[in-house]
Amino acid sequence: MNLFFVVLIPFLGAGLAAWVSRFGRLQSAWMAGGVTLVALIALTPSLPAPFLGETLVQRIPWIPALGLDLVLRLDGLGLLFALMVLGMGLLVILYARYYLAERDCMGRFYGYLLLFMGSMLGIVLSENLILLLMFWELTSLSSFLLISYWQHREDARTGARMALAVTGLGGLAMLGGFVLLGEMVGSYDLSVVLANGELIRSDPLYTPMLVLILLGAFTKSAQFPFHFWLPHAMAAPTPVSAYLHSATLVKAGVFLLARLFPVLSGTSQWSILVIGAGLATLLIGAYFALFKHDIKGLLAYSTISHLGLITLLFGIGTPLAAVAGVFHIINHATFKASLFMAAGIIDHECGTRDMRRINGLWRYMPYTGTLAMVAAAAMAGVPLFNGFLSKEMFFGETVTFSANHTWDWLLPAAVVVAGIFAVAYSLRFIHDVFFNGDPIDLPKTPHEPPRWMKVPVEILVAICLLVGILPAFTVAPLLYVAATGVLQTAPPDYDLAIWHGVNAALIMSVIALIGGILIYAGRRPLFNLATKLEGLLDARAVFDGLLKGLLALAGAVTRILDTGSLQRMLLVFILSALTLGTVGFLGGGAPLTGDRDLLPADAVSLLVTIALIIVALWTVVLHRRRLTALIVMGALGLLVSLIFVKFSAPDLALTQLSVEVVTIVLLLLALYFLPQYSPAESSWPRRVRDIGVACLAGGGAAALTWSVLTRPYESIADYFLENSVPGGGGANVVNVILVDFRGFDTLGEISVLALAGLGIYAMLKDLRLPGPTCDARGRPWNWDMHPVIMAALTRLLLPLALLVSAFIFLRGHNLPGGGFIAGLITAIALIMQYLANGVEWTHVRMTSNLHPVIGAGLLIGLLTGLASLVFGYPFLTSAFTHVHWPVIGDFELASAIAFDLGVYLVVVGATLLILVHLGLMHHASHPGEQEPNHA
Amino acid sequence: MPFDAANLFPILPEIAILVTASVVLVLDLYLKEKDKDINHTLTLIGLLVAIGLTGAVGGGDARVVFDGNVVRDGLTDLLRGAILVVSLLAFVYARPWLKDRGLFVGEFYVLGLFAILGMLIMVSANSFLTIYLGLELQALSLYALVAFDRDSKKGAEAAMKYFVLGALGSGMLLYGVSMIYGATGSIEFGPVAQAVAEQGMDNKVLVFGVVFLVIGVGFKFGAVPFHMWVPDIYEGAPTPAVLLLGSAPKIAAFALAIRMLVDGLEAIQPDWQGMLLILAVLSMGLGNLVAIAQTNIKRMLAYSTISHVGFIFLGLLAGSAQGYASAMFYAIVYAVMSTGAFGILLILSRKGFDAENLDDLKGLNDRDSWYAAMMALVMFSMAGVPPTVGFMAKLLVLESVVRIDLVWLALVAVAFSIIGAFYYLRVVKVIYFDKPDPDMPVLTTSGGVRFAMSLNGLSLLALGLFPATLLSWCQSVFV
Repeated sequence: MNLFFVVLIPFLGAGLAAWVSRFGRLQSAWMAGGVTLVALIALTPSLPAPFLGETLVQRIPWIPALGLDLVLRLDGLGLLFALMVLGMGLLVILYARYYLAERDCMGRFYGYLLLFMGSMLGIVLSENLILLLMFWELTSLSSFLLISYWQHREDARTGARMALAVTGLGGLAMLGGFVLLGEMVGSYDLSVVLANGELIRSDPLYTPMLVLILLGAFTKSAQFPFHFWLPHAMAAPTPVSAYLHSATLVKAGVFLLARLFPVLSGTSQWSILVIGAGLATLLIGAYFALFKHDIKGLLAYSTISHLGLITLLFGIGTPLAAVAGVFHIINHATFKASLFMAAGIIDHECGTRDMRRINGLWRYMPYTGTLAMVAAAAMAGVPLFNGFLSKEMFFGETVTFSANHTWDWLLPAAVVVAGIFAVAYSLRFIHDVFFNGDPIDLPKTPHEPPRWMKVPVEILVAICLLVGILPAFTVAPLLYVAATGVLQTAPPDYDLAIWHGVNAALIMSVIALIGGILIYAGRRPLFNLATKLEGLLDARAVFDGLLKGLLALAGAVTRILDTGSLQRMLLVFILSALTLGTVGFLGGGAPLTGDRDLLPADAVSLLVTIALIIVALWTVVLHRRRLTALIVMGALGLLVSLIFVKFSAPDLALTQLSVEVVTIVLLLLALYFLPQYSPAESSWPRRVRDIGVACLAGGGAAALTWSVLTRPYESIADYFLENSVPGGGGANVVNVILVDFRGFDTLGEISVLALAGLGIYAMLKDLRLPGPTCDARGRPWNWDMHPVIMAALTRLLLPLALLVSAFIFLRGHNLPGGGFIAGLITAIALIMQYLANGVEWTHVRMTSNLHPVIGAGLLIGLLTGLASLVFGYPFLTSAFTHVHWPVIGDFELASAIAFDLGVYLVVVGATLLILVHLGLMHHASHPGEQEPNHA
Repeated sequence: MPFDAANLFPILPEIAILVTASVVLVLDLYLKEKDKDINHTLTLIGLLVAIGLTGAVGGGDARVVFDGNVVRDGLTDLLRGAILVVSLLAFVYARPWLKDRGLFVGEFYVLGLFAILGMLIMVSANSFLTIYLGLELQALSLYALVAFDRDSKKGAEAAMKYFVLGALGSGMLLYGVSMIYGATGSIEFGPVAQAVAEQGMDNKVLVFGVVFLVIGVGFKFGAVPFHMWVPDIYEGAPTPAVLLLGSAPKIAAFALAIRMLVDGLEAIQPDWQGMLLILAVLSMGLGNLVAIAQTNIKRMLAYSTISHVGFIFLGLLAGSAQGYASAMFYAIVYAVMSTGAFGILLILSRKGFDAENLDDLKGLNDRDSWYAAMMALVMFSMAGVPPTVGFMAKLLVLESVVRIDLVWLALVAVAFSIIGAFYYLRVVKVIYFDKPDPDMPVLTTSGGVRFAMSLNGLSLLALGLFPATLLSWCQSVFV
């Protein structure tokens, strides 16, 4: 399990390093170094395995349900990278201890650094693709923290954000690619993936998968056109740049290319994409590096260029090219890190990084100058330095690759051009900084840095030299296992010797060296051209443009769709519903009309239907005149009750009729306080549109109704029709359902009705609203609030109405009627008294306190239900018997009638309560009170 | 027929919430202004008891009670627990806000508890009728909560819109239910499923029924094009109300979808799959795109909700056990994230000031670095950055889509989540890089809120690192 410790230790150490900073500035540096050493020690037991040709896989169950485990793997490639990450980490930790200024918080720096180190180790040691991706995103996050370390600086913040945006988003794209890859082979484990190259390359989804994964790799490795974030990330402290841009962050992308090389490479898509991106990056990076005045800018673009070189090598796709790629990864890491550190020393000692001002430093720091010269020579590809070896191999590979293609000179020519520029910018780094006259106006007087700040550079430069001169005794074994790890098989024969005789590669190297010197000598006119070109090729502008475009698009969509208008929302809602309905309608094969036989259309139904349509249309036409429209609506309700009568449902008709009357009265009372007319607010085109939408929606609803009505259905009515008399003792099915079959529901409903009544009462109790009593010309609406004839008539009507309601109530169980309807009739009769005679007159004769009525109703209903429990039956079981009354005759008495009485009382009480208090809101109902002053 | 008291056993958590709501309702009448904390304490106790009861009655085989109208199965147990825990956090966050504004009254708790009761009923419904009842109980309580701050014009407008559109949405749903009933002759999921399996799509009425059900589900989730209520309500409603209606109801909506579409209509899955697909793509696209343009963070979170709904739909439309489990995982995780995000907004608000704009988060790191870290965690999780749980959730739904060979859909989803990451990271940038306005007062919070928020934020990290338990629970529901 030691691999888990290797990955975990830096994460734990990050917390520790941040914590110990409270005991002194330098404690964090010690802690970070110690942690890295411990991680290195944890790695040692596994070191021999790759050299023995083994691949270590260590596994901890993680999400078994998904087949995902925490799996780490160590093979040659992983080992190489792990050593680079840890080794370079140690050097950078040492270097940064001297680099960081007094005011910089050490704890935060080393914490972030270790966090990053752990994430990077996670990437290179992951066996599982998903795990790899998680660490991948963690490196994006932790590098974001590192780049933005100097938070007070604007450029650091922008640079960090850009790096995070580009690499993080690339990682998300890679996620898509990994999911596809995992689906192809059925596992996210690398061992499985690497063993199924054929399967993957022949998959129809190979191309999208490849593009997505390459997006991830290219963004991370700053390949064209995603290279622009890297120069902006130079705002980071130099140790960070030295770490991130030599051995770690940007190498993650090429690591991935190397990791998946055996399965992804070897197709034309791979060649085109990877070679194309690599070559473009190589050239663009080399070209711009020459013309940067900022030392770190120069190094940034040269890094981009070298990453392009490595990518290009993997793109070529031959095993030998892959070996060269791995070799250059090692070499680039060493010389680039030492160059960054040298640049950091120069920056540290001079206080600026502008090469137009830093000149002639040789006199002040010859030792650093020597180190930088060695590293720069390696970068330029001068013989006897390590860069030369891998560059030779690179040149050789391009020639071999082109041999089989038409335009065979193009690729070698292009890479020679890149080589020329590489020599030129390396030369500039040395000549401009250390020679070329005297320093101009430096903020500090330069001198050699502290002893230990140079040590990391010395070590790296030593490696450059040793590898360059004695490759077989130094790098060869490591390169061999790493190449084996990449290819997943023994690499082909290759020769690390410095001298291969005069061949194409050597000639190319010589051309590059001579050409580079010439270009550098004649660089002045080229600077102008470069500034012009930079604007064209800087993909940052594209990035910013894309961002701006996205924002503009988002803004536009928001303006169109997000207006906050309820009408608009309803329109979209209804249209969407219509669309989905239409899709459903067209989609299914079934016809709209069902197979049920249609009834013949008789005259009455036809007339009623026509009347219904006309009245409905009339309501729409009149809807601005509210009162009239309301009365027409009443007619609509009456027509509906006629339909009930036609289809032999007199009880329903009666209910509909009484409910209709009460609701109209209710609405009238509410309308009293509202304007008489609704103004026309929308324009004509809009109204036409709305009419169209309404017609469509209405048509849709009609079609639906049609399709429902033309289909046979099994109604539950049969059950009730059969069981109404034997089970409930009543022939009026509706009433029997209400008081017997669904008695419990009715009890609930009347409770709700009672609560609603009380709620409205509570809200309206002391509310007084000024309502109009005069029309527009100041004439009172009526001269006599309570016309005598009407008052007298309603008084006469009252006993009659009450009698009717008693009749309806008693016959309810068997004939149309019942407590509910009777209650409504009583309520209407009493409301009439209020309307005709006024509140005062009525309240003298009748209690205004309706709460006892409602309470009594509920109590009766509940007690009836409980009574059945006493007799050992379930709640609300009804019993019935027949009694013979003199005069009237045979009469059926059911216990349900008591329950119905409860319903009756609640309906009367609640309806009256609501309507009376709605009426009482108006000032005119309180002639005794003063009009409130609304001034 | 005789009533068996054993029916009550599986719904003990619901009963506990009902009792708590009733007690708070009545007790509140007699509480003095300074004693209103009792409401709060009682509510929390009630929720804790309900969580305990969920555990006590949970587990084991599914039990159908109340004549087939109510069921207690794995789905019920897990979703009940999630709803209750998330709501518990919401009440903890809401308290200081309510106190500052003189809105610390019993109604908030009563309405909130009734909304929770509605959600619980939804997750344990076994018939269209029961689920509709639960839905309406939840919706009506939430309408009132949106208008809870009666002096706020924006709140009133939002409530009005919510009510009008919500009534329309519920109406559509009910319309669909009635058609399903007409086509199958039953409102219980089991018999409906049987009848649907026999008829297939030969019945036009059934087709329309499904369309309207999907519209209803889409509305309750807030999926495009039935999303219009979401941004306005999020922006206009008082933040505690948004907290309540933006978190747990998503879990309930998930239950609504699973119960109706899967339990009842799985036989015609190919037909509703297409509709969900449209809604999912539209939601992810529009949600992410429009969120970028928002400067009001509540509105931005509203659009982010819409886009997350698209992701939940991805899992649902996959039509596989794995897909449903991943959608469930996503829904629960989203509820936790959204609670955290709105919780932070509540913490940042104080008397006379509501944290509403992106700028109000400026320099949160300088004002309180712990809350800043928690908010950053929430944002990273919403963006789907590993190792937070948001990444796992996204990964799971993507995988379920790829498994049914809808690769293009997975790619579209990835593309939109890349766009989405942009605005979440902008929040992080504002928190860490921008300087706070100098006149910003010191953040004051209670220990309880800090504890709850820490739990909330860290759970996103912990679930991301160890998702196995929650995931296996989700998967065990759909075997």
